[in-house]
Amino acid sequence: MDRLSVKPRSSAKPFQELVEQHGSPLLILDCKQLVKQYHKLRQALPGVTLYYAIKSLPHPAAVHTLESLGAGFDIATSGEIELLWDQRARPRHTIHTHPIKRDNDIRDALRFGCTTFVVDNIYELEKFINYRHRVGLLIRVSFPNPATPIDLSRKFGCKPDEVEILLNKASALGLHVKGLSFHAGSQCPDASNHVNAIEQCQNIIESRFKSSGKLLSILDIGGGFPVEYVGKAATTETFCRPIREALARLPDHVQVIAEPGRFLSAPAMTSISTVMGKAHRGDSIWYYLDDGVYGSYSGQIFDHATYPLTIFSDYKQEEKAVIAGPTCDSIDVIAEDLSIPPMTIGDLVVGHQMGAYTSATATDFNLFKRAKIVVINQQPSDKNAANTVAFI
Amino acid sequence: MKTYTETLYDAYGQEFRVDKLYFENKTEHQHLVIFENAKFGRVMALDGIIQTTQADEFIYHEMLSHVPLLAHGKVKHVLIVGGGDGGMLREVCKHKAVEHITQVEIDDQVIEMCKQYLPEHSAGAYDDPRVNIVIDDGAHFVNTTDLRFDVIISDSTDPIGPGGALFTSDFYADCKKCLNPGGILVTQNGVAYMQLDEVVTTNKRLQSHYKDHTFYSAAVPTYIGGIMTFAWGSDDEKARSLPLETIKHRYNAAKIKTRYYNPAIHLASFALPQYILEAIENQTWTD
Repeated sequence: MDRLSVKPRSSAKPFQELVEQHGSPLLILDCKQLVKQYHKLRQALPGVTLYYAIKSLPHPAAVHTLESLGAGFDIATSGEIELLWDQRARPRHTIHTHPIKRDNDIRDALRFGCTTFVVDNIYELEKFINYRHRVGLLIRVSFPNPATPIDLSRKFGCKPDEVEILLNKASALGLHVKGLSFHAGSQCPDASNHVNAIEQCQNIIESRFKSSGKLLSILDIGGGFPVEYVGKAATTETFCRPIREALARLPDHVQVIAEPGRFLSAPAMTSISTVMGKAHRGDSIWYYLDDGVYGSYSGQIFDHATYPLTIFSDYKQEEKAVIAGPTCDSIDVIAEDLSIPPMTIGDLVVGHQMGAYTSATATDFNLFKRAKIVVINQQPSDKNAANTVAFI
Repeated sequence: MKTYTETLYDAYGQEFRVDKLYFENKTEHQHLVIFENAKFGRVMALDGIIQTTQADEFIYHEMLSHVPLLAHGKVKHVLIVGGGDGGMLREVCKHKAVEHITQVEIDDQVIEMCKQYLPEHSAGAYDDPRVNIVIDDGAHFVNTTDLRFDVIISDSTDPIGPGGALFTSDFYADCKKCLNPGGILVTQNGVAYMQLDEVVTTNKRLQSHYKDHTFYSAAVPTYIGGIMTFAWGSDDEKARSLPLETIKHRYNAAKIKTRYYNPAIHLASFALPQYILEAIENQTWTD
């Protein structure tokens, strides 16, 4: 997608109506997009069970929508467990993926009914001694990927040649390791690191079976499936084909799961903000929006994402411009070196692909009010579900 | 169709159809549900683990009460630790010769809730004039009380969580101190096949405090995974191997009606499978 597209003022109408009804700034969460993305990934990776990484967009409507499609959930904290509680998600369909946990985090997850946990070191294994009868563990293996904006194998994951040591230690402690997990990176340009990781995990799984007769029956291939921000991204089919081929070579007993976050949630939210002021500074005109990098655009800082923008103008001439956020900090700039038609105060700016790691990482800096999330196209709740146990 | 899936184990579990939800309480610390199931009647589950069901609770409660009481033969004073559902109290109250029953429960709300939603568990036992209810942590109570008992029954939750203090060496030592000469301690000790290390650990902890320490067992369908073990500690080394005739005589004299317990089961329940005996002897366990 382009960094910025200009559309006729008349096409701003649906966005204006939402702002008139709900105020500004807004994030519009379209549940239909979640459904579409879920089915798209299911088609591209048949046989792979999807666990939505709710950290990317921990919103009740997102959880509800994906739960009703049969998705599982990847959780990392007790706060995320509370969200699943409220939405009556099925505990058996959850995995706790944080490699570093406190005892209370483990207990909270067990109380909820989540019994799958991820470990990547001996100290973490030892935390499960008291719970050894109750849990099934995945060992997270690290496969560094310098090609991605966010390398998830630096902070977490053991080296492939350390897995055997951990497996043996787990056996000695009476802990059951049921499989392996990895994160090939986030927003990956291609699937080469996924394929590499799958192949190396296959080696580990096969050699474990040969040496000890023990099965590692789960392979969690993480996330990293790209969405299109500014510029091109691989299509889902192009990206997933080599993964599919690598998975097809796995031993039959291995069940594959994945933890898509961004892929499901990014296209589901659209930001609407309003020009609240403008000023000529140097050779540029500065537009100040009521949302910025401390708010919905926080992903531009934390997630290294650049969101495609749309403005609405019928003018043809272009001026050098900067689009900035509302806070007092000078880092709060959304886009600069733009060449765009003039906007007036009160005009709307729309940001696309803003579902993942946007509101999730927004701050309250300046105590500037966060964007309100407006949910559209949500399936009505099952009336009975509101009064029932977390049925699994 | 609504179901409740127990999440006690990762690789194995049981599932119940929920025919009617009676009660649900979710706090920051626990999630408790009571529902109706066609096969097991009223089912109570806490944090994903089945606690008791109306249909099979008699096995557990009869075995953890009548075995020590009839093995002792002259019980006047009984202590029940935990047991908020009232099932244990109901069984102990059947023994007319018992003069005084103290029940220590950490949470009075559990008692009230069970009276309301599981009324057949206590079956009016809380109104028995011999009963004294103490709201306290069981480990703290046995550590500080001056009362003495002929039988102590520990009817606790699993060792993970608040019940953990009732599986410690200190607790077993304090119970010993609270027992009259010839007294007997019994405790629920989990499903041995699933948690064999608990048998090994408990055995190790009992042996320094009780001249005779062992386990007996019964299979309770909804405590899945095979036989549940009950730990046994006493300084009376003969109490668990009395002649069948003696037990029969006491059982008949007590005039109690039971559905699982009988004198033959009583004696047979002390026979342990080889895998448990070996684990105890070698002080090791393997999964």
